[in-house]
Amino acid sequence: MENTGLSLVTVVLFLPLVGFSILLFIPDAQSRNIKYTALGTSLVTFALSLVMWANFDAANPALQMVQRWEWLPQYGIGYYVGIDGLNMIMVVLTTFIMSIGILSSFNAHVIQERGREKLYYLFMLLLQWAMIGVFVVQDLIIFYIFWEVTLVPMYFLVGIWGGEKRVYAAVKFFLYTMAGSILMLLALLYVGTQAGTFAVPEIIAGIQAGTISFPLDGLFSTQSILFLGFFIAFAIKVPIWPLHSWLPDAHVQAPTAGSVILAGVLLKMGSYGMIRFLLPMFPEASVAWAPIIALLAVIGIIYGAWVSFAQTDMKKLVAYSSVSHMGFIVLGIFAMTSIGIQGSIIQMVNHGISTGGLFLIVGMLYERRHTKDLAAFGGIWKAMPLLGAISLVVVLSSMGMPGLNGFIGEFTILLGSMGSTVLGIGFTVVAALGIILAAIYMLNFFQRIFMGELDKEENKNLPKLEWNEIAVLVPIVVLAIWIGLQPAPFMNPSDATVESLVAQVVPDTTTVAQLPEAGQGE
Amino acid sequence: MTAVNEWAFIGIFLAVAWVLPAAPLLVSWIFRPRRANAIKMQTYECGVETVGDTWVQFKVQYYIYGLIFLVFDVELVLLFPWALAYNQLDFFAFGAGLLFIFLLADALVYAWRKNALEWA
Amino acid sequence: MLQLPSLETLNMGAALPAISIAAWACILLLIDLWIPKDRKILTVYLAAGNLVFAFIANLLVFNQSGDSFMGMYVADQFSGVMNLIIIGTALLSIVLSFDYLKRVGIERGEYYVLVLFVTAGAMFMAAANDLILIFVALELLSIPLYVLSAFRAPDIRSEEAGMKYFLLGAFASAFLVFGGAMVYGATGTTNLNEIAASAGMIIASNSSTSLFLLLGAALLLVGLGFKVAAVPFHEWTPDVYEGAPTPVTAFMSVAAKLGGFGSLLRILVVGMSAVTMTAGEPAVWQNVVAILAGLTMIVGNIVALSQANIKRMLAYSSIANAGYILMAVAAAGSPGLANEATRGALVYMLAYMFTNMGAFAVVIAVERANGGADLEHFVGLGKARPMLAIMMVVFMMSLTGIPLTGGFIGKALVFATTLNAGLVWLAIIGVLTSVVSAYYYVRVIVNMFLRDAEASTEEATPGYSTGVQWVAAVALGGTVLLGVLPTLITVLTDRVSLVASITP
Repeated sequence: MENTGLSLVTVVLFLPLVGFSILLFIPDAQSRNIKYTALGTSLVTFALSLVMWANFDAANPALQMVQRWEWLPQYGIGYYVGIDGLNMIMVVLTTFIMSIGILSSFNAHVIQERGREKLYYLFMLLLQWAMIGVFVVQDLIIFYIFWEVTLVPMYFLVGIWGGEKRVYAAVKFFLYTMAGSILMLLALLYVGTQAGTFAVPEIIAGIQAGTISFPLDGLFSTQSILFLGFFIAFAIKVPIWPLHSWLPDAHVQAPTAGSVILAGVLLKMGSYGMIRFLLPMFPEASVAWAPIIALLAVIGIIYGAWVSFAQTDMKKLVAYSSVSHMGFIVLGIFAMTSIGIQGSIIQMVNHGISTGGLFLIVGMLYERRHTKDLAAFGGIWKAMPLLGAISLVVVLSSMGMPGLNGFIGEFTILLGSMGSTVLGIGFTVVAALGIILAAIYMLNFFQRIFMGELDKEENKNLPKLEWNEIAVLVPIVVLAIWIGLQPAPFMNPSDATVESLVAQVVPDTTTVAQLPEAGQGE
Repeated sequence: MTAVNEWAFIGIFLAVAWVLPAAPLLVSWIFRPRRANAIKMQTYECGVETVGDTWVQFKVQYYIYGLIFLVFDVELVLLFPWALAYNQLDFFAFGAGLLFIFLLADALVYAWRKNALEWA
Repeated sequence: MLQLPSLETLNMGAALPAISIAAWACILLLIDLWIPKDRKILTVYLAAGNLVFAFIANLLVFNQSGDSFMGMYVADQFSGVMNLIIIGTALLSIVLSFDYLKRVGIERGEYYVLVLFVTAGAMFMAAANDLILIFVALELLSIPLYVLSAFRAPDIRSEEAGMKYFLLGAFASAFLVFGGAMVYGATGTTNLNEIAASAGMIIASNSSTSLFLLLGAALLLVGLGFKVAAVPFHEWTPDVYEGAPTPVTAFMSVAAKLGGFGSLLRILVVGMSAVTMTAGEPAVWQNVVAILAGLTMIVGNIVALSQANIKRMLAYSSIANAGYILMAVAAAGSPGLANEATRGALVYMLAYMFTNMGAFAVVIAVERANGGADLEHFVGLGKARPMLAIMMVVFMMSLTGIPLTGGFIGKALVFATTLNAGLVWLAIIGVLTSVVSAYYYVRVIVNMFLRDAEASTEEATPGYSTGVQWVAAVALGGTVLLGVLPTLITVLTDRVSLVASITP
């Protein structure tokens, strides 16, 4: 079915660019038109991604809605998109978070203050295009192109509309991620030139068939070095401890929507890359390095939670909690069981929803008080009861309260890592400790802002939530509860693909990981 | 072994190249008078006595004249044999000579038009 | 004894694009004398018209390979692509120059004539298949460039640039001649194909002759290394680039490199690729070139970090870029990779041409508006002149190697051939220095967008001239088009094969 008309995936991918082009021709002064064009584009893209989901065949592990065009045929590089169980839900997450991000910036203070509103939305749409591209593309070079292009708009979003130290944070973000990804460029060029093609499914098929092989004898042989080339790029994006130091700076300095997108989607590009590229392309190296990476992930879980607890800056607190949560996702991936990987995928969605929600809440408080210091708040529940109630749900979801989405993800991941043949039980035990720590710092966060006496004069007359603020928070709360009570529709799409993936990586252990329906029922 | 022999020539050449200029310097250093006197300090030890400042400025046209003269001087060296062998040359050589003359004329017209030939 | 050639054996038609430019330059020199001072735009049109003619002629003869001047000049697809890039550079820089010359009051017709001479020299260099023609073409390229560097004559820095460039350039030419003489001494010929035929045997004999051949090749490398500004022969670059009039800097940073790399590739790939110790091994010069490439990338990028003047920064960046192209040259030393590496280098040079001309166009516009080209002059440009600033962002991104720009395609192809050649360490140096380079390119963007000017940029910003506008727009189009649809140029470069001309 290739090359006949446009695949829906291509349409979803390029819609943001269409919106981008329309936006270019709207005069700078027409603020209203600019906002609604951007929002309209992102909503239509979201709707189409839902249509894509509806047409998705969950039973089929292979790529669907494939589209291939030639680009540089003599080098084996081509435009090659398609969705399967691994990336379908990520595309929907991206379009969802982008709609939220754009809607939430409608009356953001920084944009009114610094101006250049049109440029802001142009960058948002560019970012959306590049992020969807990262998720759907199946060609290594084109993947790298989208991967690097996400840097540019994010750099400007942080750099122009960010906080006090925005220049420092933006440059650090750019250099840090570029340093990682350019090593990946070398690795993927090597893989592609050795394989004669850059199309990932073909490379994987070649590896499976034994026609392409990267020898692995010892921790620093060809396959290991290639593995590390990719891994470091992904690890910086995720970020895995100790490569996380760009994250707090970027998160704290970014404008609210920037933080939401950063936490909601950009970080997932790293963990998605691990599942999509690392495991199937370098199966032996993945198994060999799994314990070391799992160790880093577990350190990240504990470290992130610990440091998060010590923060007095709201945004920093949430940022470090991301380090902790992303550690779970990496642990689930390198458990190399289908349950663990499925848990990681659903946890990526959960983290996008709950941490995105937290950043939105922090942003709304900041808009009203112009400070991110925890000590400046207290008793806000009395001033803004609606925000308080919503925050409670989001905080509980983030700390993994049963019945909400966070629990589903973390529980399945722990289940998966427990049944893992490549990791010991110790990782699971320590990671479980992370959940307890999460409860401590999240409740601390909630209590210091919303509970207690409303004793500060400035907090007594905070403006009510705007319509667009309610409009972005409600879907998040709904999703948090929905996934918490009914995870099956969200987890089933990845079943078949993950099964076949795990069968490729650790052929002998697929049956071991079959804990009966544990993650999916209530 | 051959390589050594060939390199030996270079060694000998180097030695001779150093010795030849060094020898007269050494000899004159041995025989020269040790104490300076008025005659010795003159610009030219023999011949005309110098008059005026050494930093005489030449008119800039002089250099341009010099350059143009040089061009024609060199031109002669190339064109003279060409003219002598003219009868035996084929069309190609004729064309080449013509091209050469064209390039010179090109330069001359340029210089002329730029007033390089005026002694203003 | 001496067989005089006929016009047919000369086959000048194959060299038509280059010859037409050289000849027209001679004639235009005279025509210009009768063009009144206030109508010098006519000279521009006449020069540009000639370039357009040569461009079209070159496209028409693109698929016809042939020799001219008895094998001294080879018109093949390699020179075809090189000619396109060189003529493109010349066209862009002529358009770029016109307003600039008028503004600083050095508008003279000779300028365009000299540009034409340089263009012809670069084209001859890329097509020269004989050491003697390489030398003559190198001089035809260099001497007008010395004059152009000093074109803003009463300006002391421009004079210094011209003088410095002249002295070091003459020095480099001497190396080239000496190297050529040694190669001739070893092989008894100056024709590259014949050198290739005998080089293998000479090396295999392991006599002192092979030593002369290697020494000669090394000296040729030094001579051309000066021209392309490879470390450690780069010391002249920043001073000359900063002192020369800005459009000249733009022009020579590209044109001299194109000519130099054209000759270097021909000498090394056509003439010396058989120079191996054992058959099937990479050529002996591969490691030397690789080390030069590594040094060039490291020094160019690291010194660029501390530059506060954009022209100087771009000078060091051009040194660094020479390093990336040298990477491809080094890769061409591996057996079977010469064509792939050459194609990579060509794409890289085209991308660099567009990007660099564009960046200099923006620098000229900023010089004009804000009175200088220091980093400080770029502060707040994003607000004062958004279009200009966005263009500069694209050029900086392209120099960094961010995708969707030509710079990325060039870098990706060059890195790929380097990896294929097994020079993994060199590729790693390449990517690490790319990260270093990101820092100083991004700093320009930081200054334009992320720092706000202290109010004063609002006044005194005359709109930049149409010529500069056009060049920036064309360069932007080229950079982006090459990044998005690289097939447009790889269709041409895929036909390039340098080694095919060796038939031992």
